[in-house]
Order: sequence, then structure tokens, then C-alpha cells
Amino acid sequence: MLQSKSFVKKTRQGRVVKVVREHYLRDDIYCGAPSCKTCDTSAARLSTSASTVLIVDTNVVLNQIVLLENPAIDDVVVLSVVLEEVRNKNLAVYNRLKALCTNSLRKFFVFSNEHHKDTYVKEMVGESPNDRNDRAIRVAALWYQSHLGVNTQILLITNDRENKRRAIEEGISSETVESYVRSLGKPDLLDLVVPSSSAGVSMEDVEDLRPSKKKVIYSEHKPMSEITSGLHHRVYHQGKLRVNRYNPFEAYVGSESIGDEIVIYGRSNMNRAFDGDIVAVELLPQDQWRDGKSMIIADDEDDEEEDVHLVPSSADDAPRNENLVQPTAGSVAPVSGRPAGRVVGIIKRNWHSYCGSLEPMPMPAAWKSFGQKNYFIGDRDTENEVLLIENDINTRPFSSQVLACLPPLPWSLSSEDLANANREDLRHLRVFSVDPPGCKDIDDALHCMPLANGNFEVGVHIADVTNFVLPGTPLDEEASQRGTSVYLVERRIDMLPKPLTEDICSLRSDVERLAFSVIWEMTPDSEIISTRYTKSAIKSCAALSYVEAQARMDDSRMMDPLTTDLRNLNSLAKIMRLRRIERGALTLASPEVKFEIDTETHDPLDIGMYQIREANQMIEEFMLAANVSVAEKILRHFPLCSLLRRHPSPTKEMLEPLLQTAAAVGLDLDVSSSKALADSLDRAVGDDPYFNKLIRILATRCMTQAVYFSSGDLSPSEFSHYGLAARLYTHFTSPIRRYADVIVHRLLAAALGIAKLPPIFLDGPQLMSIADNLNHRHRNAQMASRASVELHTLIYFKKRPTDTEGRIVKIKSNRFIVFVPKFGIEGPVYLVPKGDKGADWVNHNPTGQSSSSLSSRFVKQLFAANGGISC
Amino acid sequence: MSTMLRELRLSLNQTQRVRLQSALQRLQDMASLASAVTVVADTVPVNHEDSILKGHGTSDLNGEVVAALCGVVERVNKLVYVRSQRARYKPEVGDIIVGRVIEIAPKRWRLEINFSQDAVLMLSSMNLPDGIQRRRTAVDELNMRSIFEENDVICAEVRGFQHDGSLHLQARSQKYGKLERGMLLTVPAYLVKRQKQHFHHLENYGVDLILGCNGFIWVGEHVNSNGENDMMVDQEKREDVVNKSEVGQATYEVRERITPLEIRKHVCRVANSARLLSALGFSLTVEVIVDTVEASISSNTDIKDILAAEFYVQTAEREVQRRVSLTRRKG
Amino acid sequence: MEYVDSLTGFRLDGRRPTDMRQIRGEIGVVPKADGSALFEMGNTKVIAAIYGPREVQNKSQQVNNQALVRCEYSMANFSTGDRARRPKGDRRSTEISLVIRQTMEACILTHLMPRSQIDIFVQVLQADGGTRSACINAATLALADAGIPMCDIVTSCSAGYLSSTPLLDLNYIEDSAGGPDVTVGILAKMDKVTLLQMDAKLPLDIFENVMQLAIEGCKAIAQYIRGVLLENTKQLEYRKGV
Repeated sequence: MLQSKSFVKKTRQGRVVKVVREHYLRDDIYCGAPSCKTCDTSAARLSTSASTVLIVDTNVVLNQIVLLENPAIDDVVVLSVVLEEVRNKNLAVYNRLKALCTNSLRKFFVFSNEHHKDTYVKEMVGESPNDRNDRAIRVAALWYQSHLGVNTQILLITNDRENKRRAIEEGISSETVESYVRSLGKPDLLDLVVPSSSAGVSMEDVEDLRPSKKKVIYSEHKPMSEITSGLHHRVYHQGKLRVNRYNPFEAYVGSESIGDEIVIYGRSNMNRAFDGDIVAVELLPQDQWRDGKSMIIADDEDDEEEDVHLVPSSADDAPRNENLVQPTAGSVAPVSGRPAGRVVGIIKRNWHSYCGSLEPMPMPAAWKSFGQKNYFIGDRDTENEVLLIENDINTRPFSSQVLACLPPLPWSLSSEDLANANREDLRHLRVFSVDPPGCKDIDDALHCMPLANGNFEVGVHIADVTNFVLPGTPLDEEASQRGTSVYLVERRIDMLPKPLTEDICSLRSDVERLAFSVIWEMTPDSEIISTRYTKSAIKSCAALSYVEAQARMDDSRMMDPLTTDLRNLNSLAKIMRLRRIERGALTLASPEVKFEIDTETHDPLDIGMYQIREANQMIEEFMLAANVSVAEKILRHFPLCSLLRRHPSPTKEMLEPLLQTAAAVGLDLDVSSSKALADSLDRAVGDDPYFNKLIRILATRCMTQAVYFSSGDLSPSEFSHYGLAARLYTHFTSPIRRYADVIVHRLLAAALGIAKLPPIFLDGPQLMSIADNLNHRHRNAQMASRASVELHTLIYFKKRPTDTEGRIVKIKSNRFIVFVPKFGIEGPVYLVPKGDKGADWVNHNPTGQSSSSLSSRFVKQLFAANGGISC
Repeated sequence: MSTMLRELRLSLNQTQRVRLQSALQRLQDMASLASAVTVVADTVPVNHEDSILKGHGTSDLNGEVVAALCGVVERVNKLVYVRSQRARYKPEVGDIIVGRVIEIAPKRWRLEINFSQDAVLMLSSMNLPDGIQRRRTAVDELNMRSIFEENDVICAEVRGFQHDGSLHLQARSQKYGKLERGMLLTVPAYLVKRQKQHFHHLENYGVDLILGCNGFIWVGEHVNSNGENDMMVDQEKREDVVNKSEVGQATYEVRERITPLEIRKHVCRVANSARLLSALGFSLTVEVIVDTVEASISSNTDIKDILAAEFYVQTAEREVQRRVSLTRRKG
Repeated sequence: MEYVDSLTGFRLDGRRPTDMRQIRGEIGVVPKADGSALFEMGNTKVIAAIYGPREVQNKSQQVNNQALVRCEYSMANFSTGDRARRPKGDRRSTEISLVIRQTMEACILTHLMPRSQIDIFVQVLQADGGTRSACINAATLALADAGIPMCDIVTSCSAGYLSSTPLLDLNYIEDSAGGPDVTVGILAKMDKVTLLQMDAKLPLDIFENVMQLAIEGCKAIAQYIRGVLLENTKQLEYRKGV
């Protein structure tokens, strides 16, 4: 059955652990050429008449994926060693390559060379893994050549000179990408070729090309073995590098071995490390430590970061020794300077898409090459693209396979849908939706009907997305990859294709739609007497905006049934809200702003705080209730594989900055429980109308993020949602824009016995990886939205120097942080003369972090323009 | 082909390995396994029209006869049974066995004889030292330990099963009884065939060899057994010794009791030869053992080298020769 | 993690989903024991030794109409990468001892050996997933070697369900993925299941597929074990001579 050999592989995983794995080599792996006589051709992918078969190496895939995606390139053999390397280096490219290999229209064949008995190569003594992989590629190419015979030419495409030289020595024809594309004689393809001298090629290659210019810019990274022994002997210190948000040339490494944060100044000391990398740091001699006073920017910048605070218990996070380094407000920094160091090696890269820019060379035009377009710094479209790429958001249009899964348009409710015994016909109900103005993806609607006994029947109807997105289809896979829709200021990136998002699923008014309904019977005191779940067909009678709904409720003259329903719902919601707050739910705040966008130029015209109305809260309340009800239902049926959402209680350390700030203004906050915190936040009212809001914003920043998880992975005591003070919570109400809700819909349907539970739910690890992906996508989407808001704020103020009122939220040794409530923006104001260091960090760092340096620049400009507020 | 070296882990050199393999191959060819080898859960082909009796090592599955053991299917008239190999000893009445005392119980000794239970030797089933047939008295019972102690090696005969299922032995002859001045070997029981004679006196070497049917083999200094009352004489002798030593003239007599070095060497040589044959998996008969001993002497093989690689291979080759000549003789 | 490569259809170690690891059985590795065997499934290596049927050590446990079967399972300290001290008689080994004992008891014709005791010792020399199955297979070989009458050959094999694919004979990485893992033991000739363990939830139709796969695996192992036994029996027989 098996032609196999086993061998021993040693790997190192943190601790040194010897891992012995079997590796079976087999003789039943086929070449994929349909003309082959010896192989089984049933799975062949290459074209019958292929005269040339391409074999690509890893770097070609990594750098030239755009070229490979062009239909002109075909008959490509992708070796499994290449796939593996690509996966380790860049997951995004890997996914694109995988899509190519599975696309039946393209002739890409995956050859498992690592498991073929003739093409497996064993690592030789002293051979680096890279060399070994290159050799594996050549051996496979050679095998193909002898296997397919003279009629087919095997062409190894590589840009690595050494590899190419050796290939030719071994008798394999080999070409570089450029020369191959040139030989095809299609000039338009040539544009897709990424020139080898640009970003993608590693540092050595670039130096190789320009030996004359060889100048040491950065000291070389130490080899891993030296780092390991250095760490062991405490010469080096390991930690996660965090770059100062306001100064890209300053970073901190929290080191457990010294118990303090090491400051790293300047580009050369940072030595090509990026934010989030795990690095090894060598301490500089003590005389080079700068003391606190001359520091441009003081410590603990990360507190201000809006992004996720890692839970301190997570293994790779450095200890947050706030007590040691935190100077109390007003006092000066510690007596002796803080340890300064320089990066000697990178232990683990924080792989991430980065965007960079090229400095204006002597030539006037500043451009960067991405694909074919030129982009200019500061340009809104460019920056938009940058923030999408940096947050790894897939903006590519949906593929034809995905679109093929859509129902034919125009879609309308069919009699089969109604005939389905599991689907209740609720079209007679007065259902309506309330959403922000201009909302097209309406995924929730409500109805409220007084019952004879004085109670109310309240229904929440959610678009029945799972009726159209069936598990296992390309559409489902795409949606699960995207995870969520992303809302930017002027644009929305959908999770599902537009026809579904805006038409078929959207619960628009006066059309019949499929829904998944949660129906309660409630007493006038908002006590839930019974809960019912059903798939349904509804017909919304009105799609209101929050403003309209609010206006109807406020206008006492209006007495039509719809308005009565609204008022009933509102009074129920108020009681529910009160009850929730009593339980200890937190009312948190974030500086949300709203833009008015010019329809032509898409430039922001006006900016203002987002106003929250009663109508918003009303809808929110019912959505929360629906989510909680569904969470209870699915957990009861599937205690091991329900997708829930939890919000861990913040630890004492995490609330430390909040407490310190509060203490600075003489406020004593009780953080012993969410209820206590909520109450003390309510009491924190100063003379300033914004004071309470500011405190709430600070509180919000101290919290961890809520996360999705599978109920089998945690113990029930960990399920609770701190912010909402709910024992169980999940997401059910927005399946059009969140994939988590789609999963929950399937779970609920299975719990009701309407549908079968897709097998994926029983695959613990896979469910966990889906939950992880959702968390990741959710976080990225949030960051992207925030970045988009930030960008538009900056664009807005770029043209409009404004005098406005601000609040100082924090004072540091050399600057203070100002928050402008009206626009929801925040930034530092420096007390040091501008000329000193400013010029240093306005410069763009060509190695990356364009977004952060860009924003700091604009913030600085902004405040420079608003000279009025700096004292 | 796997070279089974159950008890010996030898390092054979290249030539030895080839020689061994070819010898074993020839053995295999010669055996011409007319005898049907079967393994557990194989169906034993029978002609169902004949009435058959299912014997040992078979079980019944939906009317089929299925082997419950690995071994060889044997047919005796209507009886079909599977002769097993490395199983423990299956006692038959009259078998001569060698065993070791492990417990002294009221009126009986318990012996380990490589059976699924311990065997019982009743005080009443053996001749008393004084050789007189009489009722056993309470005094005799108290003196049992003076006859056999724990860990003594004893030779006896299977008397039969009692109704409670226990196996009883008897030692009602002078040739049975305690074995001293020698060594006990244990080999798989299937290698010892039931024969007319299990006691052998190898006169050339002054060695007694007892091939117990249970796979326990005794090799010891020859005990003079010409007299009917050998056991008694022996006993008297011992008493003499005791007496004499009491009077302080023991020196000469005690030296007499020490087995001469020569004999001890012979005992070891015979024992090692038997071990070697059992390691090779060859049947143990007195002829083969003697043959092996002689070969070891004629080839000047040291006692310790009998169990080494070279002699191991030679023995295998000699066995081939022996079987060849046997078949010729028959033919 | 992807346990079955979606592009090539291979598992992490190069097997197809329905491939078993390389198996090897060797008889007679413990000379002192009445029967012994070594069984390997890939990197999982297990040794089994049988003592008996012999006198019951603890008379109070003696059964008058059948043999007493006892089993002791243990894992060598060096059997896994991290050399942890393994306390004897922890919950896991007690449970596996019990599982093996019950499985083997089902096939031994215990009524043929009344008032005796059979001891089965199995030790894991190297663990790489599927130790339970390997132990049962080793014990079967050793019992046959000891000439203990059995009604059938018991073999065992595991199968799991990962990446929405039923996988045969999980190795350690696949085993520790946390997916459903079905261990099946069958009586090969009678086609009866004597052992079925699973501690996860699986829909019935998928479970049937997974179990069927495991049974196929058991049958393949039975075929192999039969070959080993036959070869061993032949050798013993022709060496013994007439």
C-alpha cells in the first residue's frame, strides 16, 4: 500500500524539543500532464499540447503573483516545497496562489515533490534550508524533464542567479522572469513584471546589484544561534518591539530579563525591526542612555494607542511595569536614565503587509510602484489604499465562482419558500426597520403587536442570509475569509456580493423578504414570558432612519399605528436598558465623528460628533436582547460548538491608567465590578459637559476587546460579556455584514431542527481557526474604519485651519495630549521648540510605517496651524 | 526470512549469516510441510460428511472448525486437533517431569512444572526414605521438609488429575526424587518429545540427563542407581556424613562429596549444548544432545563458545546433515 | 491548521487520508516471557509480554471455571519527546489497561484454562499516536505466540475526522488536533466489533464512514498479523524437525 521511508526531523520550537515525524515517500504521485503515458491522468491539470511547462521558484511567486494571475501565463507546475515556503512567508500571496491552483480555468498543477520518492531531497550537512529548497526545486525540474521526455520543455523560472546558474549546469533550462516574459512577445505582460530591483527582492540582492554603493547602513543581524546563546547568558534581551505612536524613530522593548522597558532611539538602533516584531536587544553602554528630561517623548506611549490591548497574560507580551516607569502627573522622569539598547536580531517577524513610499529623488516625481499605478503621498485614494492594505482587507471583486452561487436576479419570494413547513408566513405583520440614513444593507427589522392580555408580542427579524449562503460553497468560503464588511468614511467593502447585500437579503420596505425571527411575548414591564425562533417571510412596511423614527416618536400629533408601535417599543426598550444598567452594563463612549462628504470629490465637507438618539438606543436594546436569547438557545443545544462572543473583565493593571488619570483630577473610581465601575462613571460629572464623556472614552480604551470563541474551548465561567453584563452573548443580528452571525444562524437553524449542522462545527480546531479569523478581521475592519476617520479628519483640517476648544487629557514631561471633543481628535502638543527635532521625524521613513508617520505629521501640522491652543 | 534467535542475541558476521540462512533454508525445504500449518482463526478444512471430533486447539464458528492456536493440524482417525508450539506444558498421565518445589503445604508439596497451575505431590504419593510401605504419620508430616525443601528440584511422574482439577504427581520409584549436583534448564515444552526413556546416563561424561516432558531438563552428576535402595543408600550415606563429621573425621568424606571439576565441566557442556539446540528451535533428544556435545569437543570448542556464533552456525549445518542422512536411511 | 492539504490531498506526513502508517510486528522479543511481541505503527512502538497461564498469585481472585486475565499498560519515560516522569497507575494508564484487558478477554478462550491466570504486560516504547491500537495488536501477537487459545484475532486501528475528511490511523499531531478520534477493535474473522471508543460528537452518517474506515484498517492489520504468525509458526515447525 505504501512505498515509504521514514526519517527523522528535528525542529526547534521555543524550548528545544526534538520532534520526530514520519515522512512517507510514495510512487503514486502523478505529473499532471494529460499526455503522460506512465501516470494516472485523471487528475491532470496541464494542457494536452503544452510544449513548455513552467516551474516557478518561491521568490517568483512572492514577487510576481500579479503576473502569474494573468491568464497569459499557464501550464505552471507549483511544487509543494514552493507552496510551503510561500505560505510561511506571505499568507496573502499563498491564498492567491491557492486560488490559482484550484481555478479550473487555469492550468496550474501542484506537484507534491516532497512526497515523491524520486524528487525528495534530504538536507545535506551544512546546507541552509533555502539552498536545500532550491535544490529540491531543481531536482523536481530535472525529474519532470526526464519524465515528460523531449517533446516538452521544462523551464525553471527563477530570479536567483545562483539557482539559475546551477540549474543550467545540471541541464535544466532556466530563465529569469523578465527574459521569459520578453520571449513571449507580449509587451503588456511586461508591465506586470515587478522589476527585481524594487521592494520584493531581499537586501542582499540589492547590494549585489550595486556593489559600488555597498555601504553599511544597518549592522547585520546576528545569527540565531548567537542570539540564543546571548539570551541565555543575558547579554541580549528579548521582547516585543513597540514603536512610539508619535515618533517612528523611537521604540520600546519590554524585557522580562531586566524587568524594565528598553528604549531604542533612531533608525540604526532599531535595525530594520518593525512594530510587533519579537527582537533581541543589546544594551548600550550606560553613558549613552539619555535621561528622562532630554527625551523627546516620554514613556508608556502604548497607553494611548487605540488599538487592542493584549491581555497581559498572553505569553509574548512584555510585562507592563507601569508602576516603575510611570511618572505621576507633573513630576519629572526617573532619576537615572532608562536603559537604551539596540536591536541585534529579529527573533520573530510580525508578518504584516506594509506600505512604504519612496523619497523624492533628485527627480521631481515621488511615486511608488504598486502594480502599475503611481501613487502620491497625501492623496486621499492613495492613503485609502494604504490603510486597506495595511489592515489586510480584501478589496478585490468577487470571483466568478463566488458570483455563480448567487440566485438568479431579479429575485422574489417564491411559492416554494412559502410552502416550506419550517417557514412561517409573517407578511401580515407590521414590520419596519430603523437604520442610519442611507443604509442599504438592512439586516434587521422589528414589529410590536399589543396582545389581548395586555402584553406585547415583539419580533426581531433578521435577514435570512443562510438561505442563500450555503455551507461549503465558494460564496461561503469567501465570506468566511472576509469575515466582515468594512465601513470606511466614503466607502463600504462588502462581505457578500452586492446583489445579496443590497437587494436579496436587505429587508427593504414594501418587498417580501426571507427572515429569521426571534419573537418574544413581553409584559409591559419588559419581562420576557416566552421566546420563539422561526424562519419567516416578512414584508417590511417602512424603512425608517433614526432621525425619522425619533421625529415620529417625538411628534405627539402623530397617532398612526406605526408610530404607536415605535412608542411601545421605545418604552419597553427604556425599561430593558434600565435593567441592563442596573445589572452593571457599562455605557462606554468613543470619540465617534460623522462626516458630510462631497458627493463629487468625496472630500469631507463637515465634521461633527455622532449624535446618539433614543431611537438608536431602542434598536440597540432589542438587538442585544435577540442576541442574548439566541446565545442561550444555541448553547443549550450545542454546548461544545456554539460560537459565542465574550468580553473578559479587565484586570486591575489594565485599568491603572484610567485610575491614575481619574486620581489626577481628584476622582475616585471604583473598579471592583462592572456595576461599581458603571456607577462611579455615572457619578463622574465635572463642571465641564464633556468631562463625563472623556472619562468614558478613557475607560473604553482600558478594556480588552470582545472576542468570538467556540464554547468548547473555554469553561462556562469564562463566557460572560463584561461590558454588557450579560452571562452569554453572541452575534445574530447582522448576518449581511458579519460572518459570525451567519455561523450563528446555522447553529440556530440546526438547534431548531430545520437544517443539519454542517460538519465543520464538529471539527474543533477548524471552528477555533474560524473564530480566530473572525476576531482578526473584525479588529482589522475596526482599525481600518478608524484610520479612515482619522484620514478624513486630517484631510478636512488640512484645508481648514480652525480655532476650537480642546481638553487636556494627559500631561507628560515635555508635552500634553489634547482632545478636541467636537471633532473627536486627539494629539500631542509639544513644549519643545519646533526646530529641534521636528525636522527629523517629519521625514518619511522609507522602511515603512508610512501610515503612522503620516498621521503624526498631519497631527503636527494641524496643531502647528492651530497655534492658538499651544501654550 | 527472519532469523529467529529467541534466546540468543548473536552477532553473526556476513559469512556466518549466509551459512545460517542457507542451512535454515535447507531445513525448510526438507520439512516439505505436508503437515498443515495453521494460525489462529484459520478455518481447518474438514470433510463434513465424515463425522469428526474436534480436539484441542479448535473451536467452532458457524459449523466451521476454526483453529484457536497457531500450530499444526493433526488428524487421528476422526479426531482433528491443532498441535501447538510454544504453549505451556500439557500434562498426560505417565509423563516424566522435572519440577521445582515452591511451597510445602499440609501433606503435600506444590511444584512449578510449567503448567497452567502448580502440580501437587502428596506425601502419600511418594516412597518414604526408609522405603517401607506404611501409613503416613503425623511425625512424617512434620518431617516433610527434611525430604524436600522449597526450591528443591524434583523428578516425578504425572499421576493424573483429581476431580477438583488439580494435577497430582507421584514419585513411587527409586528413580524419582530429589535432584542434586547439577543444573536445571527450561526449554519450550514442545521441543521435548515423549519417549520410552527420559533418564539418560551419559557414561562418557559421568553425567545424568533427564528430559522432563514439561520442558524442564536436568543435567547433573551421575548418581549411582544400580541398587534398588539407591535413595536409601544415599540417605544413609548422608547420615553417615553427619555422624562422621560429628566425630570430627569429616574432612575426607566432605571432599568426596564435592563434584570433581571434570564432571562439573561436563555438566556445563551438556547443558550449553541443550541450550543451544533449544535456541535454534531443534527437537531435544538425547542423541542430538550427545552429538552436539561430541562435536563441540572434537572441534575444540570451549564451553562458553558453544553458545557463540560459529558453533551456532555449525550446529545448524550439522542438523541439516543429520536430517539428510535420516531421510536417506528411510528412503 | 490544515491536516489534509487541499491542493494535493496529502496529510502532513505524506499519507493519503485512507493510508495507514507502516506497520511491523515481531514475535519473541522477551525470551523469559511465555509469549511476547513488538508492534510498530509508524513511530509508535509497543512491546507486549505474556506470562501464563500460570498459578493464580492472589488466591482470592481465582476463578474456578475460567482463567483470570490481567493487564498492565505503561508508558516508558522516554516514549515521548519530553521525558516526563510518568507515575504508575495514573488515570489514563489504568483506563487503557482496562480497555486492553476487556478486549483481549473477549477473544481468549478462558474456559479452557480454569484456575489459572494470564498476565499481559504492554509497554509503550515510543508514542506517536494510536498507542491504544498498537497495544492491542501487540498483545494479540504475543498471546498467539504464548500458545493461548483464542477464538479469533483481535486487531485495532483508529480513525479520525479532521479538515472534514475521515483519516485513518492518526499520528500524534493529528491526534492532538482535538478532533473526533474513533478507536475500533474487531474480531477479524467473525467480523465483530469488540472495542469502540470515541470521546467527541460526530453526526451519525459521518461517524459511520469514519468507523468503516477504521474497520478497514483493522482488517488490513489482521491480514498482516496473520502473515506474521504464519511465518513464525512455519519456522518453529520446520526447525523442530520430525
